[in-house]
Formats: sequence, C-alpha cells, structure tokens
Amino acid sequence: MKRILLALMVLAAFVLAGCGDDKTKDTAGKANGPQLIRYNVGTEPKTLDPAKSTGSPEATIELQMLDGLTRYDANQEIKRAVAESWDISKDSLTYTFKLRDAKWSNGDLVTAHDFVYSWLRAMAKETASEYAYQFFYIKGAEDYNSGKGKKEDVAIKALDDKTLQVVLNAPAPQFLGLTAFQTYFPVNQKVVEGNPNWFTDPKTYVCNGPFKMVSWEHNQKIVMEKNPDYWDAKSVKLEKLEIYLIENLDTSFNMFKNGQLDQMNEIAAQELTALKDSKELKIMPDASVYFYRFNVTRKPFNDVKVRKALALAIDRKALVESVTKGGQKQAYAFVPFGFKDADGKDFRRNGDNYFKEDLEEAKRLLAGAGFPDGKGFPRATIMFNTQGNHQKVAEAIQQMWKKNLGIEVTIQNVEWQVYEDRETKLDYDIERAGWSPDYLDPMTFIDMFVTNGGNNKTGWSNREYDRLVSEGKSTGDQKVRMESMHRAEKILMDEMPVTPLFFYTHPIMIKENLKNVIVPPFATDADFKWAYVE
Amino acid sequence: MSMEISPQMFKRLEHDGQPAEETLCPSVGYRQNVWLRLKQNKLAMTGIIIIVLLALLALVGPHLSAHSYEEQDLLMVNQPPGGSYWFGTDALGRDLFARVWYGARISLTIGLLTSVICMVIGVLYGGISGYLGGRVDEIMMRFVEVIYSIPFLLYVILLMVLLEPGLKSIFIALGIVYWQNMARIVRGQVLVLKEQEYIYAARLLGAGTWRILLRHLIPNTMGPIIVSMTLLVPEAIFTEAFLSFLGLGVSAPMASWGVLASDGIQGLRNYPWQLFFPALFISITMLAFNFVGDGLRDALDPRLRR
Repeated sequence: MKRILLALMVLAAFVLAGCGDDKTKDTAGKANGPQLIRYNVGTEPKTLDPAKSTGSPEATIELQMLDGLTRYDANQEIKRAVAESWDISKDSLTYTFKLRDAKWSNGDLVTAHDFVYSWLRAMAKETASEYAYQFFYIKGAEDYNSGKGKKEDVAIKALDDKTLQVVLNAPAPQFLGLTAFQTYFPVNQKVVEGNPNWFTDPKTYVCNGPFKMVSWEHNQKIVMEKNPDYWDAKSVKLEKLEIYLIENLDTSFNMFKNGQLDQMNEIAAQELTALKDSKELKIMPDASVYFYRFNVTRKPFNDVKVRKALALAIDRKALVESVTKGGQKQAYAFVPFGFKDADGKDFRRNGDNYFKEDLEEAKRLLAGAGFPDGKGFPRATIMFNTQGNHQKVAEAIQQMWKKNLGIEVTIQNVEWQVYEDRETKLDYDIERAGWSPDYLDPMTFIDMFVTNGGNNKTGWSNREYDRLVSEGKSTGDQKVRMESMHRAEKILMDEMPVTPLFFYTHPIMIKENLKNVIVPPFATDADFKWAYVE
Repeated sequence: MSMEISPQMFKRLEHDGQPAEETLCPSVGYRQNVWLRLKQNKLAMTGIIIIVLLALLALVGPHLSAHSYEEQDLLMVNQPPGGSYWFGTDALGRDLFARVWYGARISLTIGLLTSVICMVIGVLYGGISGYLGGRVDEIMMRFVEVIYSIPFLLYVILLMVLLEPGLKSIFIALGIVYWQNMARIVRGQVLVLKEQEYIYAARLLGAGTWRILLRHLIPNTMGPIIVSMTLLVPEAIFTEAFLSFLGLGVSAPMASWGVLASDGIQGLRNYPWQLFFPALFISITMLAFNFVGDGLRDALDPRLRR
C-alpha cells in the first residue's frame, strides 16, 4: 500500500512539475519576445547570394536582410531606401542617385562603390547569374555579360562615395522599380572579396537591411533579429523573425493550426473551401498569369486554328471555381490586372478580353484544320512540373478537350529540372507555365515572346510583334509604349502560341494579431520591415 | 533346438480383390488432400471468398455506377458518400465508386501479372542455378545478391525514368525487382531434390537436363512456389500504391488504388472518404491474399499431412 502511495506521489509530482514547466514556458515566451513572427517561406533557399538567386522564396528572405536603392511600400509605390534622392535627366537616360548614411551590419558604410561592385559582379559572365538580363537596360551591360564588352564600358559610375550614376540604353520607366529587385541588392565588397562563400554562413552574412541572420538550420528555419545598424531601425518594431523552410503543405498547415506558425504562403486547394469563413485566410492579389504553351514547331500546333480551337474549348470558369478555388480570375488575355496604363487606369481593364470561350467556333476551327470532331488528331501530351494543383488543372483540361472536341491527350508530370530542360529544348507538345512580373510594367510579360527570346520557349515568331516590342522599349513616352504593348498583346492572343488560363491569387494564412505585413503582388512573398505583433 | 518349416504352418489368405492397406484408409490424392486441408482453414477460405468477390466487383463494379471512372462533373466536386455517388466524389467531381472498382482492375492486374512474371523468371533462374550447381550456381547467385543489395527504390525510379511511366513499365519494374526471392526459394528446393533417388533414376534412363528440370524438379517444388506467389500479389499491389504516392504510377485519368489513395490524402482533413475507400480495399486485399498464402503453406506442407 505504501509503495503504491509513494508511486502515486511521485507521479503527481511529475504531473505538477510538467504543468509548472508549461506555464513558465508560456509566460516566458510572452515576456521575452512578443515581437516575434514565425513565417513559413515554403522551401530551403537555393542560394542567398542576391546576384544568383532567382526564386521568390530566396528574394523574400533576402529582402528582410538587404536594402536596395529603393523599396516598395504597402501601396506598391517605389520609396527611397538607401538612395536618399535621385535625379533623372531630361532624356530619361541618366539616373543620379544620392545615397544616405547607411551602414552594413559590420559597421562599414554602404557606399556607391558597393553598388557598382555588386551590379558589375551580378552581370559578369563568370557569375553566370540567370537574372543578368535584368541589367541589360544599362549601357554596356549586355556586351559585358556576353563577353563582347569590357567591364569599364558598363555605364555605372560612383562619382563619389555617396553618388551613383547610371546611364541607360533607352528610356525605361521600369528601371527605378528594378532597383528594389533582388538582383540589384548591394553586397559588401570587402566581405565578398575576402570570402566567396560569405552567403552560406550567418556569421559572414553582412547585411544592410531591417534584419540580420542569427542562425540557419538547413531545411528547418532561418532565425533573424532586428538589425540595430539599419538606417531606418526606428521603423522596425519586430525584434525577432523566424523564417521556416518547410516544403510540405500539410506539415506547414498543421503547424499554423497548432500555433507554431504565424503566417504561411501556400494552401492546398483541398483546404480552401473549408477555410472560406476563416478570418485567418487572406486572398492577396498576385500579378501573375497561369498559361499553357503550345510548341509551334510541332504538328499540329503549328496551325493557329488548332491552337485557338484548344484555347476556346477550355471552361475557365469551372477551372477557377471548382479546381483551383483560390479566387483566381479567368484569363482571356495575357497581362494580368495590377499594371498602370498611360491614363493611370488598369492596363488590363483598358485592354479588356481578347477572346471568349465558344464551343461551336472551336469545333469549326478544328474541322478547318483537318480534324473534324477530333478525328485523326495525333496523341499529344500536356507536360507539367510535379505539383498537386498542376495535375488537377491538367486532368480537368484533358477531360474538357475530350468531351468538347473529341481529342485525347495524355498528361505527364516531370521534375522541375527535367521540365526546364525540356521546355528550353522545345521537347514538348503542350506545357503548363506561369509568369510572374520582375517589375511593375506590362513589358515584363510582353517582351517574353519576341523571336528567340529567352522566355519564348514556344518557337513562335512574328515580325510585327517584334517591331511593336522594340518600339515600346525605345521610348519613355508612356502613351506610345502602352499603345504598342496593347497592340502586341492583341497579336499574341490572335496567334495564340500560348493560351492564358487564369490570373493567380496569393492565398495566405495569417494570424489576426499580425499587423503591417506587406504581401506584395510580385517578386517577393512578404516584407516584414514595418510588421509588428499586436 | 531346431525349427522346421512345414506347409502346415501357412494358411491361404482369403483374397477379396483389394489391397490390404486400402481397406484401412481411402486413397486421397495430393491435390485433394491439399484442398481438404485448405477447406478446414477458415481464414484461408474467407480470403478466397473475398478475393473472388473483389475480382467480380472489379469486373462489374464500374458498370454498376451511373458514372464512368473518368467523367468529371466540376459542379459536384468533393461530394460526401450517398445519393447517386455511393462512395462520394473526388476533387474533380469523379465518382469514387466507379474509380475504386476501376482501380481494383488495375491494382489486381498489377498484383497477379507481376507475380506471374516473377514466377517465370525466378523458377527458371533458380532451377538452372540449383540443378547445374558448381561454378554456374556460384556466379548466378552472386549476381542475385548484387541486385539484391541495390536499394529497391533507387532501382525502380531509374527504371521508370528510362521506361516512361505507365502500366507496362510498372509490370517490368516490379517484375525485375521481385524475381530474386523466387529464384532463391526454387534454388534451395532444387538443391535438396536433385539428390533424390528418382532424379538419379531419371538420369540413368537417359533424361536430359531440361527434361529433369521441367518434368521432375519444378513440379515437385510447386508448393513453395505457389505460396510465395500468393504472398507476392499483395506486396506488388502495395509497392504500386507506394510508387503512385511518389508520382511514378499509372497516368491519369487511369487510377490504381495507390493513385486514389495518393489523391485522397490531399483532402484528408476535409473529405476523409476520398482516402478511406481506396485504403480500405487495399487493406482488405492484402489481408485476403496473406490469409490464403498462409493457408496454402500449411496445406501444402507434407510434414503436416495426416
């Protein structure tokens, strides 16, 4: 009896101690760091070297630690960051930036020389940055990148420690916005030259942004804390930022539900219906387009009638309402909503839709191409990169084409690397694709499809289209630019080497006590500079 | 003392035309015997009945539903079971009842065909290796061990990349992976049997290697072969389900149970039936085949013969 009593007492002691522990942990958590946000960016970054990174998870992480010349605010307006002011010459070609007193986290000053060094490094051939083309607006950049020109001929100059001057090839109103883009972020010359792998270690990751890196557990999380040396440190209310690198949507969702995460990016389509009334689900705008490419170098997709017939036989309404379910908008044109036209209104609203679904017309076109009721249509394949939602969209479209046109297609999912390789080699029939803008101007969508453009990937070529794109690129006159882009888009939709399906949205889960988190519609997924916990 | 043997000591036996032993116990053939013992095994019989039922439903099931397995109704996505959708619908509004039974066809075919492929390769390989013995045996078995030591998944993924995913490549991949066990079992049996007198007798009478192998050795190892074939069926079904989970299974809109389960898990939180039904039938099938396999092993084992 005594023994049992003793055992019970020991057990009770454990239970009580356990409870006590929990409580102390809880209160300690609240007392120590209420200004903490835990956010899942959704994947391990491939690299945190701003010159080489391309994805939006990488850009999101870098944005918290680095500050470019400019930075977007909550209204997606370009605001001053390291640049205190700037001056644009009358011919819109020369940009002169005045830098403020900003410091690196190791105490060095952020100088104009750092920017010259960083940009030249990013566009150098040896760096092999995929995003080097983001600099091609600058005089001499393209030649330097291709090895034809010299480093000295690139028109980026530090007039003194605080003055940076850039000369462009042609007027480019989007250039100012680009200075907030990841590839344009500065790096500290001394640090980079002293240690080429500086970006892999939190200890050597010298930064000039709102936060600095404390630790990086691969595939787990990156911990950051407020950077006291940041020039605008008084605006940063958050003390600690934990960025989780969890890929599995289910794990991430569970963590959010259990209170281990405050904000997360992607939500599986199968969860969205049940979350409809949740106050934690926010559908944010996303200026990106989801589309299918046709390989116009292959039969029968070399025939515009076939491409149009396929495009007209897709029920986009059913697609966004029943398959993707995230409030996406049906797309009947290529450039998404959210870009300003010359008159200040929305480019898309001004341009309107270029086609509409029409089964009769689709059947007529298909018959005209020599495949009445789909008879004799060769077996084509829709290729997409492995991901649940792409598979569902492809299966739905496969069935729509079968039912509406009598065409059988197979669908094939491939790994991302294989997918990229095959689309570049034009080794596909039809492929799923998406495009997110690099800067807030329709040109980022329109210039994809110029003849032999790096992102064309359809084999399509149209002389009038090329002419309109170069016309749009040669002037700073918004009216002329926008007009030529509208006309180019019309050609693109008439010829249909690509068929748009829908414009993305960005559904996120975010706890209600998080304030001032910016969720931009492109390039990055979140900016926590002004964020705080209530 | 001496003993004289005289005719008086012997008595003529009344001959009734029957051999004496058979009056004691009716003759029962080997197969009959196995069947009798299998019949007494309740679990094994349940297994057989379930397999027959599943096979029947796989044949007629898809026609019982008003919907076809690939027909989508995007206005009826994620419907719970009931009404005109007995098992509910999936994320694209397809009837799960039709899809489960269509999936049964694919999964059962994969299971059965894979085990037949393995049997053919394994029996020939193991038989030759065991019977010829010596250096041939040494080389052949080392080869099996080398293949055995390569991680299974790596091997299958490599094959799938080479062969383009699809039903045919799943057969080939699984066949190539699973024959080694069969080969080892057959070799072991043949090693024992080839020392038996009747094999010497056959050889003395001039039978060739192939004749001995195919007419004498292999029929006598049939017991263990059948047992391991039965147990291989659920293993293949399960492996296919696992491959589908990794996205290496049959291509849409075809669906095996594995594909259905893999699709279903995405909706586990809100639409549990999408995982429940395929998972249920995968489990039932695996249990049924395992019961039958165990029952057969007991029934075929001569040591348990009464």
